[in-house]
Amino acid sequence: MKRRLGYLALPLMMAAAFTTQARADGETIAVFTKNQTNPFFQTVRVGADAMAKTLNAKTLQYIPTKPDSIPEQLSQIEDVVVKKPSAIVFTPVDYKAMVPGVEKINDAKIPVVNITDRSAGGKFLSFIGADDYSLGLETARFLLKTLGGKGNIVIIEGVKGSLTNVDRVRGFNDALKENPGAKLLASQPGNYQRLQALQVMENLMQSNSQIDGVLAANDAMAVGAIEALDGANRKAQVIGINGTKEAIDAIKSGKLLASGDYNGFYQGCLGTMMAIRALREQPVIAEVVLKPTVITKDNYQPFDQPLEQRTCPTFEEASKLGAK
Amino acid sequence: MIDITKEALSPPRSFLSQDAIQLFYRLLAVLLICAVLAVLNESFLSLGNILNVLRQASLTFFIASGLTLVVLTAGLDLSVGANVALSACIAGTVIHTTGSSVLGILTGLACGGIVGLLNGIMVTALRIPSFIATYGMLWVLNGLTYWYMAGETLHGFPAGFRQIGSGYLFGLPIPIYLLLVFLGIGTLFAQRTIWGQEIYAIGANPVAARLSGIPVARRLLLVYAVSGTMAGLASIIFLSRLNSAEADIGESLTLPAIAAVLIGGTSLFGGVGTVFGTFIGALILTLVLNGMNLLSVSANWQPLVTGIIVILAVWLDMKTRRRAQ
Repeated sequence: MKRRLGYLALPLMMAAAFTTQARADGETIAVFTKNQTNPFFQTVRVGADAMAKTLNAKTLQYIPTKPDSIPEQLSQIEDVVVKKPSAIVFTPVDYKAMVPGVEKINDAKIPVVNITDRSAGGKFLSFIGADDYSLGLETARFLLKTLGGKGNIVIIEGVKGSLTNVDRVRGFNDALKENPGAKLLASQPGNYQRLQALQVMENLMQSNSQIDGVLAANDAMAVGAIEALDGANRKAQVIGINGTKEAIDAIKSGKLLASGDYNGFYQGCLGTMMAIRALREQPVIAEVVLKPTVITKDNYQPFDQPLEQRTCPTFEEASKLGAK
Repeated sequence: MIDITKEALSPPRSFLSQDAIQLFYRLLAVLLICAVLAVLNESFLSLGNILNVLRQASLTFFIASGLTLVVLTAGLDLSVGANVALSACIAGTVIHTTGSSVLGILTGLACGGIVGLLNGIMVTALRIPSFIATYGMLWVLNGLTYWYMAGETLHGFPAGFRQIGSGYLFGLPIPIYLLLVFLGIGTLFAQRTIWGQEIYAIGANPVAARLSGIPVARRLLLVYAVSGTMAGLASIIFLSRLNSAEADIGESLTLPAIAAVLIGGTSLFGGVGTVFGTFIGALILTLVLNGMNLLSVSANWQPLVTGIIVILAVWLDMKTRRRAQ
């Protein structure tokens, strides 16, 4: 409760940030994320703040009030171009539709780092992201290894056509192809929503008496599927993706087999680090695609600590984190 | 012209019989969908799946039942889904901090009801069209919920509380009992009470209703408060069933609820429709999704099929009504 009340201070802090221009010692980094609803972007923002604090800079958070709203992010870009922060750390709400926005930032000569979703165009100092395809592939491989390479599998997809979903599901399917003993019963949409995943799972259990594994394209859907299984007194191994706090709790209690870590904290840290380094005329890494980590009951401990206590990697460590 | 006498207050007989005809068509549609699905998939007609469908339809129905009353007055409540999200997050926090499920349930219902009342005040006292007022409220609620949750998720609730959404009584899921209770109350209220009939009269002709002495503003206030309270109830069922609350649940709940009301035959122009029709609407939407899951219809086709069914249902409704008039 206490921590929630702390958010009351947020508007005040933001007002302060808007009125005081960047001081000589601290650059202002505008951080653009896609929404305020997905816990993943909260980890990105906390990572960005942590790195800015370490390097004695400031962040300004830009988040569309309507999740993933293209027009809203565009108008936020127009605002930021007027406000001229030292640099921008940018996640496009849509990797194609935001290209004109990125071009506006380029025209305004504000240095910009691309994180999370790779923009289809525009000039960036560097790209920091994870790889949805390998997250899907590695989590599914882990599930199939646990099942001994066989069994009846169900995929619960995210929002059809979204970049994350296309790549994750492609990864799932490629892992299934490597295991001819496994049978894909169905690949149905849950739209990244817990309730929809629960209902899809309930429906699929009606026509499939034996389901051994569930591949869900995010953690909320994985947990929804587990609720459905519990409700029907049935058991299956379930994996999710994102490594949310809820998923870690479920892994600890043995309900969830594993979750793929998308590593939002590191993305926030490294994106901000590269932006500030460029401003200080230090070398940057052009591209860091973080290696996927499958969080299981054997390695969840580092992910179990509160976000505020996590530490950002150093530049030397960053160059070893799957940099190309 | 509508006759401004006492008879105008009780829904004219022709309305009721027309509603009866419409309901008959809808039940026929449900039977047709069921027959097709039963032929295509052997598990469809199992008792387990029928209970499954009814339980899934119940959440949409709870939200849509209150909404039906609003639509009967020729209004619309676009804030119901966002209301469910905020109520669920607040009720969840209360249960987590106090440990009391009862307190959480009461808070959830109160939160939903207060939001509804505010909608009602905007529509009556401030005379803002309901579409705009509740659309504004949708944003206010989203903003509050996103800010309050800050990207976090509440999860893990007491086992007793979880019974409401996930438990069974005499072999039937508890939400089905609640569904029957609220279907009964809603139908009796709308069809058999003076207040209910006044709501129909307001929707049919607000000027005539006012002239015949119906306290229009007070009835509208009631209708929006009921819609909000039902969203509060849905938030409790949601929390208890999903064992969690997050800020982004609203958007996925509003449109199915509106669709259920429309498929159920309640007219957006007010005065025509039934709560039972809304139940059938929720059932049709659920059956279609359930059927597509059972038949493993590709994820690409599911929204398309749902969209076509909504359009078809409303078109057929308008066509048959025109003929009846």
